[in-house]
Amino acid sequence: MSFLDRSARAFLLTELLSGMALTLRYMFKPKATINYPFEKGPLSPRFRGEHALRRYPNGEERCISCKLCEAVCPALAITIEGDVRADDGSRRTRRYDIDMTKCIYCGMCQESCPVDAIVEGPNFEFATETRSELMYNKEKLLANGDRWETELAARIAADAPYR
Amino acid sequence: MPKLTIDGIEVEVEAGTTILQACETIGVEIPRFCYHERLNIAGNCRMCLVEVEKAPKPVASCAMPVAEGMVVHTDTPGVHKARKGVMEFLLINHPLDCPICDQGGECDLQDQAMAFGGDRGRYAESKRAVRDKDFGPLISTWMTRCIHCTRCIRFSKEVAGVPELGATGRGENMEVTTYVEKALSSELSGNMIDLCPVGALTNRPYAFKARPWELRKTESIDVMDAVGANIRVDVRGNEVLRVLPRLNEEINEEWISDKTRFACDGLSKQRLDRPYLRVDGKLQPTTWAAAFAAIADKVKGLPGSKIAAIAGDQADAEAMMALKDLMAGLGSANIDCRQDGAAIDASTRAAYLFNSTIAGIEDADAILLIGSNPRWEAPLVNARIRKRYLRGGLKVGVLGERLNLTYGYEHLGTDAGPLQSILDGSHAFAQVLKDAKRPMIILGMGALSRPDGAAILGLARKLAEATGAVSEEWNSFNLLHTAAARVGGLDLGFVPGQGGRDVAGILDGAQKGEISVVYLLAADEIDTAKLGNAFVIYQGHHGDAGAHRADVILPGAAYTEKNATYVNLEGRVQRTQLAVFPPGDAKEDWKILRALSEALGHKLPYDGIVQLRARMAQVNPVFATVDEVVPASWGSFGGEGELSGAPFVSPIKNFYMTDPISRSSKTMADCSALFVNGQQEKTGTHG
Amino acid sequence: MADFVDGYVLPTAIIVAQILAIVLPLLVAVAYLTYAERKVIAAMQMRKGPNVVGPFGLLQPLADGLKLFMKETVVPSGANRAVFVLAPMLTFILSLIAWAVIPFNEGWVLADINVGVLYLFAISSLGVYGIIMAGWASNSKYAFLGAMRSAAQMVSYEVSIGLVMISVLLTAGTLNLSQLVEAQKTVWYVIPHLPMFVIFFISALAETNRAPFDLPEAEAELVSGYNVEYSSMTFALFFLGEYANMILMSGIMTILFLGGWLPPLDIAPFNWIPGIVWFGLKVALLLFGFLWVRATFPRYRYDQLMRLGWKVFLPFSLIWLVLTAGVLMATGWVPTK
Repeated sequence: MSFLDRSARAFLLTELLSGMALTLRYMFKPKATINYPFEKGPLSPRFRGEHALRRYPNGEERCISCKLCEAVCPALAITIEGDVRADDGSRRTRRYDIDMTKCIYCGMCQESCPVDAIVEGPNFEFATETRSELMYNKEKLLANGDRWETELAARIAADAPYR
Repeated sequence: MPKLTIDGIEVEVEAGTTILQACETIGVEIPRFCYHERLNIAGNCRMCLVEVEKAPKPVASCAMPVAEGMVVHTDTPGVHKARKGVMEFLLINHPLDCPICDQGGECDLQDQAMAFGGDRGRYAESKRAVRDKDFGPLISTWMTRCIHCTRCIRFSKEVAGVPELGATGRGENMEVTTYVEKALSSELSGNMIDLCPVGALTNRPYAFKARPWELRKTESIDVMDAVGANIRVDVRGNEVLRVLPRLNEEINEEWISDKTRFACDGLSKQRLDRPYLRVDGKLQPTTWAAAFAAIADKVKGLPGSKIAAIAGDQADAEAMMALKDLMAGLGSANIDCRQDGAAIDASTRAAYLFNSTIAGIEDADAILLIGSNPRWEAPLVNARIRKRYLRGGLKVGVLGERLNLTYGYEHLGTDAGPLQSILDGSHAFAQVLKDAKRPMIILGMGALSRPDGAAILGLARKLAEATGAVSEEWNSFNLLHTAAARVGGLDLGFVPGQGGRDVAGILDGAQKGEISVVYLLAADEIDTAKLGNAFVIYQGHHGDAGAHRADVILPGAAYTEKNATYVNLEGRVQRTQLAVFPPGDAKEDWKILRALSEALGHKLPYDGIVQLRARMAQVNPVFATVDEVVPASWGSFGGEGELSGAPFVSPIKNFYMTDPISRSSKTMADCSALFVNGQQEKTGTHG
Repeated sequence: MADFVDGYVLPTAIIVAQILAIVLPLLVAVAYLTYAERKVIAAMQMRKGPNVVGPFGLLQPLADGLKLFMKETVVPSGANRAVFVLAPMLTFILSLIAWAVIPFNEGWVLADINVGVLYLFAISSLGVYGIIMAGWASNSKYAFLGAMRSAAQMVSYEVSIGLVMISVLLTAGTLNLSQLVEAQKTVWYVIPHLPMFVIFFISALAETNRAPFDLPEAEAELVSGYNVEYSSMTFALFFLGEYANMILMSGIMTILFLGGWLPPLDIAPFNWIPGIVWFGLKVALLLFGFLWVRATFPRYRYDQLMRLGWKVFLPFSLIWLVLTAGVLMATGWVPTK
């Protein structure tokens, strides 16, 4: 019987037809994709995008040049030079560079940061035309922080209960 | 010899040993903060608690002497609990500012909190905050971080001999302070930074510059004075960031002087990074080839007697060897390495060494210092004398300036006058030397670099022979050199040859026009005005006095930038290691001389440093014995003559500025402004 | 003069006008077939498909065409220039000239010849030459392998296509395509010849190098097959030719099995609709089938492809041919004319 059964299935192309029925059903399902540049999918507060250096509400930069991010960075993408700031003698960076072409977006830098200064923000649309634009310096990172601060603060607050 | 059991291991140690030391002999590590093997025992951090059977409570092992039959446990739950408790107490008032603390990464408290502390704190009240003190330009203080181990207080009192630090208040209100606002006026103060187990005392010039894990560490030798302290050079990129001491019981124990530690910022300032040539009275940058061509142009065809060479105080032995061979090739005997004109007899090795060795100071029981200020000329030698002095039974006599040497001494006079009377026994101190089992005579450069230097040397030799400072097993006729290159130069025979001129002769000849080419190998301590119209070739690393007068500048390497040999004042051959590369076009010094010799048509016969060192060992066999002191045989040296009545003056006017590197250092400039030029007096109440 | 105009110029002009009337809508259809393909496959994969250029992305094929048109034609240095350039033209022309015999409606045919089926068969067999030429002239191993596969595949499946056609021809008793359609007035041949329709459809997939038989193009192994070295307009001609071939195969299937321009039932609302619309709808339905299959099935292995052609389709269609003939003889339904 099984021979007949198998032959009948083969000659009646049941497998092919059930496969095609499946694709036909899918054709009328709601689309999984979105209209990307105009609409965007939801992002987790833990999403690790473009880096930013944050400031305190009074405008003071958070980074204290402790160099933990530089030490922890597995891609050696971060370069820091620390120094005494001339006006108040506090510990600050003279240079804070991230080579975004080396960065692997593992988020270890923001994990290691004791003052939430270096963070990976929600921005993932920072493609550039030249390679050199991806060598971020302190100025660029602080500007990023200023631009995204509202969102960065909200993300950290949203994730705080799970830490 | 009491026998005790530590963690089940039976050990026999000398009576009077503490439990902690006994543990160390069998490799059991006891955590500690206040205990330090070179300082007195304080017993106030309580981190070293161990359990001793039959003792009702845990005992502080650093302060507890061993006793017969003691049974010690260092690894029981009780001990762990005790350590955890002590750690919690220490951390109550210690701020959690590791991220901005320079000690972070090399902090005893951090390490031991990881190893022995708990993983959370229970302390929720407000923490203590302490105002920072001003300890001067070398040490920055973060007194809130202080855990009151009192290592710094004990160091300044015991080792440095400058009892300026102390503690006020008790319990939580205890503060380490200088009582009145005052910079620490010790030339060893930097060692407190190393001693401090936390980040309360940190290196001020190095503040916030780097983390220990990003530094490349190179073991090297210091050349700021003739002691040849063993150092570690910490480098990031091509910049020397700091200098730390390396343990060497024979020389520096674990201390270094402030100049050694803090002058490293001068290594990146005022550097000669390319050859220069004087054109129309102005130094113009040029190429090596052009500089060599200009030298060849001047030197070729000149008789040897019109050429001279002077080696500076930081020249390495390799370069001096190469220069000596080059000058011999050019037919000149006018070479000298004694810039200060000291009347040192180079023919007998024992005549220019610190024969007793530095460690030998600890065996001496009477010391006569002649024309020397060891506190500035060799702070580590001075610290050794103080260490010996503290043990008691040491009598020190000083002929020279009346200075605070950090230990008590009998001032015998300011000039050479009493020397004769000590020799013939009529002086009171002569008896002291005679009675001493191990008398010692230390002759400073202040006594030798004067017109009657040779006569003083001769007198000192006779005195040493008469008092028993020189015998079969004990030679303590000691010269206290001030220049790192000096003994190396003397060992290589970098002194005037047959009919050659010494430094004074060279300068005189240059002034009179009898010498037309002078080669300065990093020699900056001569009176360059006396060089007259001579064509001056300066080879060195800093734009200092010599470079200003030079007609051709050949940029060389500083001591951190070359693998070079130096001989310290004991006659110990030591080697520096390349920590960073010379800046710009600069090269290792012997390589410059080797290249120049080819341009001058007298090619030196060595192509590599191995061959060059073989040549040095051929000239003087001591260069084959690295890191060892070879006892020198005694001989007859020194001259006779009238002694002048002038008082002895130390050759070092300013401890913080003795060489091109320290003169270029901003830190050293701050120090000399504060400590030497008397501005220290103007702080505080002098407002 | 008038003679000349009436005898030559006018007919020529009429023929040219007729050709244009077929070719231009065909090219537009090809363009929108690519659009439909992207949309249908996207929908089956729960994606959106092109939707940026124009409303619903309707101008996407024009943008693609423009892009191809603007690009540089690169001829590889080792290529045989003449053959290299000739190959895409040949493919394109062959895919177009077959349309001369396709009846879109009753009497709407450019050349109503009596051997229409043979003509179609001949033209589609020539299609392989364009591909062989392209693969050989490119002087590239990928192109050459792709062309070899393509040629072998097309030759194999033409055999079964031919046998399927013979079964239909036996039933209809004519080689004229219009008469073939007329013969299906009573019943579309898809009903008696359903297995042959399926075989023909699958063979058409293989004949046009479509998934799951797109081995000549196999991106993963041959990077793109015979057209790997082509760019710009030369590539566009291959592309147009392939898609025109798909439409052609659908047209042939419509005529052979689905009753051409005939409505499904010759009753009231159906026969109000013009025949050309029915023809177009049937072609569109079959093209959807092409796309549907592509979205559903993975690619065959080459040996499986050959086994299917020679060991399944060929014997099966032969048996069917014999059966058809036997049934016709036994029942006396042999068409007589």
